[in-house]
Amino acid sequence: MASPVLADRPAATPDGPGRRRRPGFGRRDHLVGWLLITPALIYFVAFLLYPAIAALYYSFTDWNLRSAPNWVGLANYTDLLFDDVKYPHFWKSVQVSLIYTVIAVPLTLVAALGQALLINAIRRGSNLFRLLLFLPVVTAEAAVGAIWRWLYDPQYGLINAVLGWFGIPPQNWLNNPDLVIPALAFIAAWQCGISMIIYLAGLKGIPLSLREAAIIDGAGPVQRFRKVVLPMLRPTTFYLLVTGVIAALQVFGLVYVIFSAANKSVTGGPEQAGLTYVLHLYLFAFRYDAMGAACAMSFILLVFIMIITALQFKFVKQEAA
Amino acid sequence: MSRKVAGAAAVIALLAGLTACGGGSDAGDAQTLTFWMYQPRTPQAGQIYEDLRKGFEKANNVKVKYVQIAKDDYNTKLSSAIASGTAPDAGVLDQPLVSRFALDKTIVAVPDGTITESAFYKGALDTNLSEGKLFGLPLDQTTVGLFYNKKLVPTPPKTWDELKQISTQVHQADSKIAGIVVPKGDGYGAWMWPGFVAGAGGEMTDDANKKVLFDQQPAVDTLQMWVDLLPSSPRQITDADNAFANGLAAMMVSGPWDVANIKDQFPDLDFNVAPLPYKTEPAGNIGGENGVVFSTSKNTALAWKFLQYITNDANNAKFADAFGGYPTNIKAAEQTAATIEPQQAAFLEQLKVAHARPAVPQWIQVNDEIIAPALEKALSGKATAQQALTEAADKTRSLLGWNS
Repeated sequence: MASPVLADRPAATPDGPGRRRRPGFGRRDHLVGWLLITPALIYFVAFLLYPAIAALYYSFTDWNLRSAPNWVGLANYTDLLFDDVKYPHFWKSVQVSLIYTVIAVPLTLVAALGQALLINAIRRGSNLFRLLLFLPVVTAEAAVGAIWRWLYDPQYGLINAVLGWFGIPPQNWLNNPDLVIPALAFIAAWQCGISMIIYLAGLKGIPLSLREAAIIDGAGPVQRFRKVVLPMLRPTTFYLLVTGVIAALQVFGLVYVIFSAANKSVTGGPEQAGLTYVLHLYLFAFRYDAMGAACAMSFILLVFIMIITALQFKFVKQEAA
Repeated sequence: MSRKVAGAAAVIALLAGLTACGGGSDAGDAQTLTFWMYQPRTPQAGQIYEDLRKGFEKANNVKVKYVQIAKDDYNTKLSSAIASGTAPDAGVLDQPLVSRFALDKTIVAVPDGTITESAFYKGALDTNLSEGKLFGLPLDQTTVGLFYNKKLVPTPPKTWDELKQISTQVHQADSKIAGIVVPKGDGYGAWMWPGFVAGAGGEMTDDANKKVLFDQQPAVDTLQMWVDLLPSSPRQITDADNAFANGLAAMMVSGPWDVANIKDQFPDLDFNVAPLPYKTEPAGNIGGENGVVFSTSKNTALAWKFLQYITNDANNAKFADAFGGYPTNIKAAEQTAATIEPQQAAFLEQLKVAHARPAVPQWIQVNDEIIAPALEKALSGKATAQQALTEAADKTRSLLGWNS
């Protein structure tokens, strides 16, 4: 946490208080500075930059991890997009991830905002509730998967039991192709703790004077929420939307855990209904021996995410009003 | 100033530490054999591996170095080691990977005269084939059988007709209980399905003549039989957690790993295991691991000797048991059969008639991406068995380039 105060005040130097030094560093400081960031740089180059460039190279090759990669030019990209013999479920996986994103992101935002509003409203015990609502985020994915498989169980599951009180017949959540993605998106919304904390910070940042002015003008709670709170939270919502979409398009761990544990099989649930883009990518990389194609998939995803993000920056309002 | 010097020194020390962590790989010399395998499932299993290792070292005056890796990470780590040129001398390999590794010459063929083929179960030995040649020795094998709840099913079905009949009777007697947990159209179900197809006298492929056969009558009948079981075995019941062990389903198809699980977690369940019901002839599928020698090894002779040692009459029963499977060596299996629990006997019996997966490098992808969805299509009623399999077989022909 850098304190902004430091910038205003020249640091005391051995040269004495009288002489002003140019901001910045001398040569020797340069060296020390470089040395200090070298570990981070090495980490960045060795574990992020180099693998990314290597993956780009491998995406133009036919490579099974074992023998030397074979240059194939754009073939991986064109085959993925157009050859449904080699990659019969590529477009299915795109569809699954898109539907998941469309359901999970709004659901997460609504859940997070709702929780933040509740915590912001209560006077006592808000710390406790904040902790409880944050727990799902820090719980190990394998445990989350096991718990939710129980909750969604067609015979013993709590979810069906609760729905039963309202006369809704029991559903086979994780085995009905139409329900798999909504069921997974619901788990994502349950894990909205980080968004909730960010919304909470946003709520605390709304000046009290605005609220008071709205009250004086005769605005009720609903109006205050619609006309003051929501517009003031716009930058927060925008940030959560952009990062949420990026994360949702890359969903993998939970899907993998849910299906591999339930069915001893990672092929993505009933009729590939849970075959998300990154699960599909993983299967080609590590199960079907096609690392080159998997690398190409990851770059297709990268470009897609960049386009989606650019569109959001262009068309979604970001400034508080 | 002294602070800065101290800081710089600390940074340099840190960097030196980082680089020091880098190197250090020991290439096997003539005396040391490196063998990669899964982490032992139990401390007892670990002890068996150790005893076998010591026995071999003593008899041959060499050293064997085990590298034990968690099963889930094994294939990835092995591939990385091969890519970086640090493959072991020999190692364990999942059956369907043998033909892949053989194709890109990552592993070497078994030298003539290494084993007597008739000493091994045919199904297990066949899992080492690539283009008609053996590329490994079978270390252990496993299969699936029919688990049945003795209270609900006093006599297990032998044939498909009996299976359907019993399933219907159970569900009619109590609509809350399913006849059998019908396998799913997923990668796991697609692995079990060929065992049933073989029970109708069918084969998945004819590798030598590059023909896809799973759109023919035996396979269609098999899938239809699974479909016919569903009315008496609703998914809403069988998809429940541990439906068989909880008594919600009278039968299920599973492997020996579930025998231990059920005995441990559901000690009250009175169950037994029978060989898979068949249509025309007893048959089953097969899984398990083979031992292979990597082409970069400088100790190939010693490596084959070690693989012979863990698959011979005296040792294979111990090794396979520690691995959680059954012996592949027929004499060794006789020892196992003499001491086996009743619930395990059916598996061993069925392995005599087990059929290996097609020796096609892309088979896992065909299994997951083509056969599994076809099974699910028929099981969910979106296509007939014949339609689903005709389409799947055509896709497989295109993928493999077997368009004759």
